[in-house]
Amino acid sequence: MLSIASIVDWEALLQTVAASVVAGVGVAIAFSVAIYGATRFAEARRMGASLVTVGAAALTVVALGACLAAITGGILVMTSG
Amino acid sequence: MGDDIVLVIVVVTALGFDFTNGFHDTANVVATSISTKAMSPRLAVGYAAVLNFAGAFISLEVAATVADDVVEQGAITPTVVFAGLIGAISWNLVTWYYGLPSSSSHALIGGVIGSTVAAVGTGAVIVDGVVGDVLVPAVVAPIVAFVVGALGIVLAYRIVGRLRPGAVTRGYRLGQMVSGGLLALAHGTNDAQKTMGVITLALIANGTLSEDAGVPFWVVVAAATAIAFGTYSGGWRIIRTMGTRIIKMDAAQGFSAQGAGAAVIMASSHFGFPLSTTQVISGGVMGAGAGKRVSAVRWGVAGNIVVAWLLTIPSAAAIGALAYGVTRIFGTGAVGPVVVAAGAVALIAVTFARRARQGAPVPAG
Repeated sequence: MLSIASIVDWEALLQTVAASVVAGVGVAIAFSVAIYGATRFAEARRMGASLVTVGAAALTVVALGACLAAITGGILVMTSG
Repeated sequence: MGDDIVLVIVVVTALGFDFTNGFHDTANVVATSISTKAMSPRLAVGYAAVLNFAGAFISLEVAATVADDVVEQGAITPTVVFAGLIGAISWNLVTWYYGLPSSSSHALIGGVIGSTVAAVGTGAVIVDGVVGDVLVPAVVAPIVAFVVGALGIVLAYRIVGRLRPGAVTRGYRLGQMVSGGLLALAHGTNDAQKTMGVITLALIANGTLSEDAGVPFWVVVAAATAIAFGTYSGGWRIIRTMGTRIIKMDAAQGFSAQGAGAAVIMASSHFGFPLSTTQVISGGVMGAGAGKRVSAVRWGVAGNIVVAWLLTIPSAAAIGALAYGVTRIFGTGAVGPVVVAAGAVALIAVTFARRARQGAPVPAG
């Protein structure tokens, strides 16, 4: 008798689940941080707080870079088969 | 000569199926972006069609699964593949008519299994492949999309919760340009490949390709084009009905739902799992809704998805088996598929005409 446990490629399935969670949640966090940084940047620049402005700009750039890296990496992994 | 006619009918039918797949699924791909006003309907539909086309070129793992891991290639004929397609199209038509949520992917696999069983018995069905590559991922993927969508929105609200709503909404709308594009790309990747797999299976069954051959490039281009045109055509119907059927959500939820759907479909495509993209996107949308407020989730939709899981494969299989039986009444040549194809076209025309008289169906899935 066939058992589902022996049929399913659990390694591939678990990798799919892990990649989905890391990419989906990771990009949501990174992009939210980018929005946080961009909003704080705009507020700090209006108030003339230069140190906060630089920090917020850096946070935005790093967070957007992380999003871009995750998306590009994901597509490259898929196209490489 | 007769075999070649059948093969041509199979390819045309498969591309027709691919077109209807794009037509059917446009709403899933673009509704979130339009609902949150991240994109205008025209832009969203055009953008989705282009990225559906591009997505079809990204990977061939799902096509390989459909061609290699569902039924034994050596045991079937192009007529079997044709009957399977008729099973899938007919089931899609029935569910569209009654407004039931249906998975084109599960219908396709069910149809091919049914016609194979009718033609050569259960021995030609690769049970390991069907259970391991289709059924189990079909159950797991929407649940993962739900969890990712819920986690994403909970964490997003924690990060941006104290900021001015206007700036946050503008930010997530911009993000949806990317997440919506990724979702369309993922949809093209997973769904167009199923048609590529079926056409490849028919080419192998006909002896045009060897059993270890890959997907021919013309098949990739044809499938990509068919799903992109289907998406574009389906979009105009959606533009007309927009505003009454879309899910109400904010831009952050839209971003989280689209990101969850894209991540699950792309990861699954990489490992060759042919998913129901409709069910995965629904899972992401429900997760993003539940992350904000559990009562916001339309649990009835979740129930319909479960019913669809249970019904689609056996029903499409039964119709696929019946279609094969009808073709065999006319012998083993091209007459059977020609008669059944003509009957299917007539059935589709009658169904569309009846539905047009009665008004638009309840949105599926």
